[in-house]
Amino acid sequence: MKKQQLETFKKSLWVFHINTGSCNGCDIEIVAALTPRYDIERFGMMLVGTPRHADVLLITGPVMRQMKDKVKRVYEQTPEPKAVIVVGNCGATGGVFHESYNVAGPIDKLIPVDVYVPGCPPRPEAIIYGVAKVWLKLEKMGAKK
Amino acid sequence: MKKLTSEEIVQYYTDEFKEKIKDARIEKRSAGSKKKEFYTIWLKIDKSIFKEAVKHLCEIQFPHLAVISGNDIGENIELIYHFSLYYGERLEEISINISVEIPKSDPKIESICDIIPGALITEREIQEMLGVKVENIPDNRRIFLPEEFPKDVYPWRKDEKGPQKLVRDMYE
Amino acid sequence: MSEKTTYTLPIGPIHPALKEPVAFEFEIEGERIIGVDLKVGHVHRAIEWIGMRRNPIQILYLAERICGICNICHPLAFCRAVENIADIEVPERAEYIRTIIAELERIHSHILWAGVAAHEIGFDTVLHLSWAIREKVLDLIEYLTGNRITKAVITIGGVRRDITKDQYPTINEALNYYKENLGALKSVFLDDKSIQMRSKNCGILTKEDTLKLCAVGPTARASGVKKDVRVDQAYCAYGDLDVKPMTPDVVTGEINGDVYDRIIVRLLEVAQSVDLIEQCLDKLPSGDLMAEPKIPKLLAILKKTEGEGIGRAEAPRGEVIHYVKLDGKNEAPYTWRVRAPTYNNLLAWIPMLMGEQIADIPIVAASTDPCMSCTNRVTVIRNNKKKILDNEKLHRLSIEKTRRLSV
Repeated sequence: MKKQQLETFKKSLWVFHINTGSCNGCDIEIVAALTPRYDIERFGMMLVGTPRHADVLLITGPVMRQMKDKVKRVYEQTPEPKAVIVVGNCGATGGVFHESYNVAGPIDKLIPVDVYVPGCPPRPEAIIYGVAKVWLKLEKMGAKK
Repeated sequence: MKKLTSEEIVQYYTDEFKEKIKDARIEKRSAGSKKKEFYTIWLKIDKSIFKEAVKHLCEIQFPHLAVISGNDIGENIELIYHFSLYYGERLEEISINISVEIPKSDPKIESICDIIPGALITEREIQEMLGVKVENIPDNRRIFLPEEFPKDVYPWRKDEKGPQKLVRDMYE
Repeated sequence: MSEKTTYTLPIGPIHPALKEPVAFEFEIEGERIIGVDLKVGHVHRAIEWIGMRRNPIQILYLAERICGICNICHPLAFCRAVENIADIEVPERAEYIRTIIAELERIHSHILWAGVAAHEIGFDTVLHLSWAIREKVLDLIEYLTGNRITKAVITIGGVRRDITKDQYPTINEALNYYKENLGALKSVFLDDKSIQMRSKNCGILTKEDTLKLCAVGPTARASGVKKDVRVDQAYCAYGDLDVKPMTPDVVTGEINGDVYDRIIVRLLEVAQSVDLIEQCLDKLPSGDLMAEPKIPKLLAILKKTEGEGIGRAEAPRGEVIHYVKLDGKNEAPYTWRVRAPTYNNLLAWIPMLMGEQIADIPIVAASTDPCMSCTNRVTVIRNNKKKILDNEKLHRLSIEKTRRLSV
């Protein structure tokens, strides 16, 4: 059953992007990965408008207090199998905003994370490498079962 | 619209309000190879003539309000209104900063939204960040802080009402 | 009898280029908007509070990350404020290099906006075309400063990197590329019938409203109010160059203040920036790069300085102002106040959106180039039943309207 689900991953990954309060540097690099220079669309990956169609969640930004429940809700709305990628330094350890009164903590305290892509902001090549690592990790998980 | 130099503007204010102007100074800076100068005026006025001072400024030209900033100095709160005049003409703009001090025991000031409607957002912000009460403001809600933020905590203050207890270090 | 329905507008998470999320509440009659209410404030990261605990050099790196697109103007305004207080004289060569990097950033930001605006109307091809053109400017920025987005070249008292004579051929090649390709971008936007139908007489902001609401940047210039910090209070090298505030009557001969005029103003400014960079390269004087190259000495000077000052700069979206107060006892400033340009343009949305249709909301909101990251939702309340309309549906409504008009 799991092997059959991973077959769908081999064809194309649909990505949903959440911004939990970032400066938009990482968001621009994610959208730049779709444009003709880096062109991730030739692999069939595209940005979808709702988490119910998505396979992979891309999260940027340090999580603000207002966004805490919304991130959890989006995670629950995404159907299995799913993977979570954290883009940028802010979600991993806080980046420059590490001591602030409005930040609800790094993302791995709220939802389980599969891949971290560090950088401020990371280059589009690094983001594509991160998505490729998610692919390999899911294949390995499927092969073990 | 009247065309005055920066010294004449300061004179215009001291003629009208005399001793209620506590302090006035003019700063001059220059930039680039040709060293063209530009001026900044800093005025410190008494709280009682605040609204008339703003109306007085509107008689020269309708000003551009950039933002209101605030300082917490011990017993008082100092509010600084950053205006600028003569925009639109090459190398002619003069920045005017008017500062008012209000005591922490009675932090009230009048709203200027009836003269300059664009001041609404910045007045709402100083209300929630410093604990100042702006009278006759058209819209009293919070603007930047979340709903569940405690009511008595004012982030820009340096005394016990600051947000020290809410700070979380992400490394823990 | 008409039904009154209330909307709360969400701008979904797929948008790059925004700083604070905004929630609107509309009162709608049929398809027309008759009342607008504004709610902001979901990306409040407490930057000013963090800044009051760090020394001025650390604040430079914090100020860069206020916005990922206007990356030069925030550190530049902060440096000008501190230099005004401490009376530090910036060498001329550093002023010219600051001007060149600021204009490169303006080009990249306006072309990014052109792609986003086309995406809102429904032309995804133009989004890909303009972002492919934008890659050339990012290559040039990386060649000169080392990074695509967060450049970190500006420091208190000067700049950190130099532009040498053997870098000139690459710069000139990139500028020539832009001169050839801007014509293509202009004809796509200004001569296309569908874009004209969607954007003319849509989202009008009158000159009187612009003055009263203190709007700044291309939003104000498209309505006829010539506010431009580069012309009015020339900072860096702008006093020596030939800069004029751009208004739409250069191309069309009249000023309407609608979305079409804002597109014209931004495309004209890209051409103006290319011209300004060429002027700067011709006149680049020789000299030092920094007033005080040793950082510990600079921090020691700032620790003893006392005073307050403001610094203004012209970001791609309008006027940026920083207010700094140093108290002479600590390294960290006593007060730091930041005001980004979208702050002033938020209230201008209310007169622009009255009387428009729902399908026009994305293009009118995007035409002021807001710098906020948003995650709110749109709720439609009709006869006491709630229906959720998110960004995807609004975007689709906008595209369907374009298809209807072009048939």
